Amino acid sequence: MVDLEFRRDRILLRWKDQKYEWVIEPRYWRNPAIGVALLAVLPLFVASYPHILTMITTANLYAAIAIPLSLQIIGTARVNFGPQLYLGIGGYAAALLNLHLGWPPALTLAGTIMVCAVIALLLSPTTWIARGLYFSLITLILPLTFLDVTFIYGDIFRGEVGLVGMSPLLTFKKVTWNYVSYFYLSLILMLFYLWISDKIVRSRFGVTMAAINENEDVARMMGVPVERYKVFYYVFPSILAGVVGWFIVHTFRTFAGITYLPLDFMTKILIIVIVGGRAFLYGAIPGAYLISAVEDSLRGLGPINYVLFPLVLIAFIAFLPRGEGLWGLYHKRHQRDYYPALHVRRD
Amino acid sequence: MLKVHQVTKRFGGLSAVNEVSFSLNEGEVIGLIGPNGAGKTTLLNLICGLYPADGGSIEFLGHNITGMRSNRICHLGISRTYQIPQPFYAMTALSAVAVSVINGKRRPNMSLSDAALEASYYLEFAGLFAKRDTISRDLTLYELRMLELARALATTPKLLLIDEVMAGLNPAESSRALEMIWSAQEQFGITILWIEHVMKIIMSAAQRIVVLQYGRKIAEGTPQEIASDPKIIEAYLGGRYAKNQ
Repeated sequence: MVDLEFRRDRILLRWKDQKYEWVIEPRYWRNPAIGVALLAVLPLFVASYPHILTMITTANLYAAIAIPLSLQIIGTARVNFGPQLYLGIGGYAAALLNLHLGWPPALTLAGTIMVCAVIALLLSPTTWIARGLYFSLITLILPLTFLDVTFIYGDIFRGEVGLVGMSPLLTFKKVTWNYVSYFYLSLILMLFYLWISDKIVRSRFGVTMAAINENEDVARMMGVPVERYKVFYYVFPSILAGVVGWFIVHTFRTFAGITYLPLDFMTKILIIVIVGGRAFLYGAIPGAYLISAVEDSLRGLGPINYVLFPLVLIAFIAFLPRGEGLWGLYHKRHQRDYYPALHVRRD
Repeated sequence: MLKVHQVTKRFGGLSAVNEVSFSLNEGEVIGLIGPNGAGKTTLLNLICGLYPADGGSIEFLGHNITGMRSNRICHLGISRTYQIPQPFYAMTALSAVAVSVINGKRRPNMSLSDAALEASYYLEFAGLFAKRDTISRDLTLYELRMLELARALATTPKLLLIDEVMAGLNPAESSRALEMIWSAQEQFGITILWIEHVMKIIMSAAQRIVVLQYGRKIAEGTPQEIASDPKIIEAYLGGRYAKNQ
């Protein structure tokens, strides 16, 4: 009577002589709306479990780092292995400005953006000179160097214990409200990043970006100012990652390089990008939720989780469709649509 | 229009292009021929700015383009196709051409849908409109070459550099490709510098031919002059054959 049919890109439901169809395409307007609505009501169900609230807040922040990273990977045609560098820089900039100069969060945001922009601009020529493995190596080393700096200049950065006591963004009397407000703030931050990255990817710049990702030299021959684009796609996502650092500083009110700069944090972010579908912005969100859920559930097992977690991550890479991640389960054989779909009809 | 003066390019100890000079007038079709490894493609790469030249100068429409970045050279009006097709493999034919339309010259206010419309004009011209939503990876060699031509034309060039467009095509396809190039020249009024190994085609198509050997220019002239030049017969068929003639 009710006939359900799964197509590659849609679900068809036939009942009597009626036909309903549902497009399984994250860009189809109803799907993001449902996704956002689900995320928005999530705290209602988990408000009494603070650790789950923290977990989903962290998941939002992971996604907020992974989304700009996806943008950067496409736009510079290089894999950045140190996305956490600007998280560290942004966080330390915000924390130090707040603690030593007494700037309120709004001013430290401006300061963070400035500091990240200047440092990213200085480092952006690496996208011109280094390709492939060499770029990955450079970006891999930079956060580790910065981590060492936080230890060497321990009187400024407090490398071992971290900086504490920064002013909060919002304070409520009830602790639960604090957690809920942080969740919503992080959700807004992440969705804003998604929105802005999506705008870029779906514009004419998205097509150009895809061309750079495919072949730099040919793109340059077609008039694309590749160098300028690469600087932008290096600097802009770096600033976005830096703002996540600012957010962490003013909500968790503690910031230590040792938490965010080492390799295991970087692995998590990169795995989120891979699990969510490389070069696929929407995928970062389910990827981030999945990874932080796994991380959280393994934590209950005691010290063995440090061994198990990487094994689970490897399993994700091995068993998910390569390059397409979770979304790849939906549409296998679907082209990698990191560039806008262009259609011209004859009639 | 294009003046190449004493251009030299060395790769280590090898002079791939050695003090080559020639010039192109507007509306001309010039053939660039030579045995394998003569430096034809290197010369093309020098003109469109892929490599910096080690010596000499290249002038285009009064601008000195030696050492200029290829995107600026493209904006001045030089476009090229590749010997080995270099499509954007994961992109559809339409979006690949749209990239050229958007970036080929300064078009600050062009929207994506305008670009798609204009790109579809060039695809139609190259006979690929039906394949507009096909990913470049799935196109045949002939279609890839036509896609490259469409992509090159979409940047609205004044000078088109064609690098062995006939290589690997069957006779029917190459005559279609030849027609396409003729109508491109007619419709868009472009000048063509054409590298080709198929002598029958280049001898009938080009008004003037430049011959390279071991990176040096050994002759320049009309196809008839070139065909009867003993030096060129020697370069292609060997000294003994030239002597026996």
